[in-house]
Amino acid sequence: MSRLSAKLAALRRPWQLLARRRALVLTGMLFVPVHAAVTLWMPRLLGDTLDLLQQRRGDDVTTALAQACWLLLGLAVVEAGSRYVSRKTLIDASRHVERDLKDELVAHLQRLPIPWFDKVRTGDVTSRLTQDVELVRFVMGPLLLHGGSALCLLPAGIWLMAGMNVPVTLSASAAFAVLFVAMRILLPRLHRWSKAAQEAIGELSQQAQEDFAGIRVVQQFDRVERERAAMATRNRRYLLANLRLVRLRSLVNALSHSTSGLVLFGVLLVGGLEVVDGALSVGELFQFTGYLALMTFPLEILGWTLATMPRALAAAERIQELLATPTERATGANPPLQGHLQARGLTFTYPGASTPALRDVSFELAPGQKLGLVGPVGGGKSTLLALLLGFYEPPRGQLFVDGHDVADLAPAALRGLFAYAAQEPFLFSDTVAANVAFGRPDASAADLGAAVTAAALDQDLPQLSLGLDTIVGERGVTLSGGQKQRVSLARALFDARPALLLDDTLSAVDTLTERRILDGLAGARAGRTTILATHRLSVVADADLILVLDGGLVRERGTSRELLARGGTFAAAWRLQTESAALESGPEATP
Amino acid sequence: MSDPYADDTPTGKLSLGFVRQLWPHARPYRRGFAACLAILLVSFGLELLGPYLLGRAIDGPLLDTSAPTTERTTRLLWFAFGFLAATGAGAWLGYVYGRLTAWNGQRVVRDLRRRLFEHLLHLPLSFHERNPAGKLTTRVANDVENLNELIATGVLQSVFDLLKIVGVLVALCFLDLRLALFTLAATPVVVVLSIVFRKNAERAYRAVRGRLALQNAFTAELVGGVRTTRAGGREATIAARYAARNADTSAAWFDTVRHFSVFFSLVDFCLRATSVGLLWFGGSAVLDGTLQAGQFVQFWLYFNLLTGPIRELGEKYNVLQAAFASCERVFTLLAEPRFPADGRLPTPARGAARIEFADVSFAYGSGPAALQHVSFVAEPGATVAIVGPTGAGKSTLLSLVARLRDATSGAVRVDGVDVRELQLGALRRRIAYVAQDLFLFTGSVLDNLRLFDPRIDETRVWAALETVGAAEFVRRLDGGIHAAVQERGGTFSQGERQLLAFARALVAEPDVLVLDEATSSIDSATEARLQLALRAAMRGRTAIVVAHRLSTVKAADRILVLERGEVREAGTHAELSVARGIYHRMLERAGLPQ
Repeated sequence: MSRLSAKLAALRRPWQLLARRRALVLTGMLFVPVHAAVTLWMPRLLGDTLDLLQQRRGDDVTTALAQACWLLLGLAVVEAGSRYVSRKTLIDASRHVERDLKDELVAHLQRLPIPWFDKVRTGDVTSRLTQDVELVRFVMGPLLLHGGSALCLLPAGIWLMAGMNVPVTLSASAAFAVLFVAMRILLPRLHRWSKAAQEAIGELSQQAQEDFAGIRVVQQFDRVERERAAMATRNRRYLLANLRLVRLRSLVNALSHSTSGLVLFGVLLVGGLEVVDGALSVGELFQFTGYLALMTFPLEILGWTLATMPRALAAAERIQELLATPTERATGANPPLQGHLQARGLTFTYPGASTPALRDVSFELAPGQKLGLVGPVGGGKSTLLALLLGFYEPPRGQLFVDGHDVADLAPAALRGLFAYAAQEPFLFSDTVAANVAFGRPDASAADLGAAVTAAALDQDLPQLSLGLDTIVGERGVTLSGGQKQRVSLARALFDARPALLLDDTLSAVDTLTERRILDGLAGARAGRTTILATHRLSVVADADLILVLDGGLVRERGTSRELLARGGTFAAAWRLQTESAALESGPEATP
Repeated sequence: MSDPYADDTPTGKLSLGFVRQLWPHARPYRRGFAACLAILLVSFGLELLGPYLLGRAIDGPLLDTSAPTTERTTRLLWFAFGFLAATGAGAWLGYVYGRLTAWNGQRVVRDLRRRLFEHLLHLPLSFHERNPAGKLTTRVANDVENLNELIATGVLQSVFDLLKIVGVLVALCFLDLRLALFTLAATPVVVVLSIVFRKNAERAYRAVRGRLALQNAFTAELVGGVRTTRAGGREATIAARYAARNADTSAAWFDTVRHFSVFFSLVDFCLRATSVGLLWFGGSAVLDGTLQAGQFVQFWLYFNLLTGPIRELGEKYNVLQAAFASCERVFTLLAEPRFPADGRLPTPARGAARIEFADVSFAYGSGPAALQHVSFVAEPGATVAIVGPTGAGKSTLLSLVARLRDATSGAVRVDGVDVRELQLGALRRRIAYVAQDLFLFTGSVLDNLRLFDPRIDETRVWAALETVGAAEFVRRLDGGIHAAVQERGGTFSQGERQLLAFARALVAEPDVLVLDEATSSIDSATEARLQLALRAAMRGRTAIVVAHRLSTVKAADRILVLERGEVREAGTHAELSVARGIYHRMLERAGLPQ
């Protein structure tokens, strides 16, 4: 029981949100019993009319028939009206709850710490916001409507029938009880098997997706036959899962179909005998069948609810859990920062990792200077940038900005210092302009133009049908990797912040364009502290300090001139990259 | 260009041309479908039988008080058990029908999916470059599935519903002509109302789907872009933008709820009003003595049989429309021309091959030429290095060797035979391709190296790993060669990825290597291994390499300097250096030793 109450407690927030829509909910709940009462009145009216018809024709009988017809028409109006009002209000209320809950969840997500995002998959978060919220909404709306309706109809209907004839009521109830129990057993299995079929088609889709994405490998290595065979297996597995599901679904349908027939049979047999005995009129028999027809839907709803409720509660718990996750630290000093950076023996291990990602890293950078970070994948470049951005908390006394320990600064203060372009360029499905301005309402066209030019994005605009207003991203025009990176760079440059962090932002940009961007930056950078993490060494040739990070350690340090003179890994890689650039330079390129 | 994931052909017109194309795929299962139809007819008869028995029972034993009680009881029992038998048989037939339609429909879907998938794998690279993988996946997974709807829900169920409406009306005519005529007059009104209102409701629902898709996409984006948002300090902006999209969706939902509420209430009311009319006319007929009470009940129940099909008429139409649109999309893809058929010549003898480009030109579609009059020969075991700026046609040239594309004019020859005359599979098996970046499939490292071919044993894979010097780091992986590859292979450095690409190529034991050398990154350990791996891989093989390293060009037997699709210079490193031409200038400008 305590387990159940704990589960119901997870619905507390949705309930509170529903309570905000009190007026809608109360109106809807008022019309649910009205609708039930009207529908329950109709079989009685029809039964009485049928009995009436067995009398001889006379003016009074004709009048009575006409009255019954008018009354039935009136009831039909009330029925339709009450159903409309209750459906519209209650379902609307649930949509309000859905919307409020989603807004609340997203606002909360925006404040969760970055390490939390490292542990979750994007798909899991989106399914919280879509499927889980939908399940909770089901409880807050359709369940109120149909469940409320069932709660009115079932007891009242049984009471009315029992008042007419107990044996007929009992025989019909028995048949319904059997159906109900059978549904309780079958519905969870139906859900399980439908999930299995979904998974089977998911596997099939994944293979198709990979084969099409890697079509070059598939064709070049002559793997078409193998992939065809693998798909045949998955296709077959899906077919079997589907047929199993259909078998059960057909059974459920046949069962619910035959139950109403079985109930009618019971009524005809038991009720018919009562009619022969003179204990029941034919009209009453007819009335019975009318009641029974009304019972079927609420019973199905009940079975449906009982099958969905556990999933809905589990969803509510997951949502509750997400809402209860502590948010990122928002406290700390917020002084104006210039961009003097210092690391003193900085050692950092990711939460849950066994080996440090940075070990004993020390450097100092004056405002306006340029720091180059180079080294292999996983060497620690991105980690250092993440620490500067306050995504993770470095140990106290090891990383300083303008003399303040980073641990004492508010994350917002650090982020206000740096304009940042991430390694994996991230675009929203929106216009190029919106992606660059990134929600800054005060964006002037001149600022926008400057950022776009500085990122050498202007050269691509003629190719885009609507220029800056072209929608890009997942649901828009697909940009090349280099174009995406330059949009991301323009976004960083657009934010006129004192310092610039570029995490391998130009890796997919061709060398010529890269040169143009870097030359532009050199001019614009005056006075801006800049940190560049990169694989392309030419990018950091003019840096005031270069750190070669490998395995979290600083392997080499100095200016490019010093590093080249030393003849270490930097020098070796420099030579190879120069060769590569030369072989790609072409006859026309200027040196 | 605008939205690669949008439906290409969302017309969904009920065009019979595509149904005709579907027929050959359904034909093998025609007996099954015939059986489904037969079952439908019998179930329909049973559905009519139930109310008939009830009506007869009312007029017979129940109301006929003149007969003795025992006789009335006996006759009632006959009717009751007859009704039970009809119900039982109907339910059983319904069950069989459900399974049988799925049995047939799903098999058609399976066959069609198999065919479509295979067809797509055979389509030329140029097709795949135009069509994103996500879109094609949707065609294979979802659109094909919709065709099942077309067969099961669409054709069969619509036939049944139509049959039901007509059959019930005919039965009504036999029962009482006046009542039948009244129903006949009222039904079209309800049907039209139902279709019109459901159409509105569906339109509102489509708006919901569109906005919901936008909102969900934004959800994924805001999670994926959380670092960008955080660094930019735009948390509030993003949340507000999400809220705006959320509000849009909500508004569309409210609209939908309104439409559906009106729809359900209105259709239900119309059906009720019709039944009130029935009560009036039927009741009058009973009072006149022209209709018996039991027949009236039978009539009433028949009318109730119609409400289901009428209520769902609009829904069927929508399902059908979607299914037709899917049908169109699937068959449009199936009509895409495959890569020109295989040549017939069998596999030439194995061993290092001689590759010859004879005056080869190539253009993408109707675009400008990507390669113009390229001619060169790679003798067996020789290495040809290609250098030149981005966009010069280097990768296009590589893709012509293994016939991933066909030359627009001129010929590519392997051992003197035009590649178009060779069996495609045999040709491709002789040639291995090493890309700059390794494409990884879901699976283990081993799966990725032997590309899921179980006939290749592990020792051969290990041998290849040893040859390229990647064995050591594969052994260090958690799980070794059986380690699962992570999404997009995030665990491997760029150098490691190329080492694995070398290994994959060597596992295939090719005669020819086609290689796009990766740019070096600052990873001295892998760099040294890469150079060794390259040398080991090329030993005894003909190689065509897009070169990024001086050591590679120096070791090459021939260097081609490509610019704008044309070979500007050709020769060995020594020859070209002496000639003091383009190649010489390229190196000189970078200050490289000659």
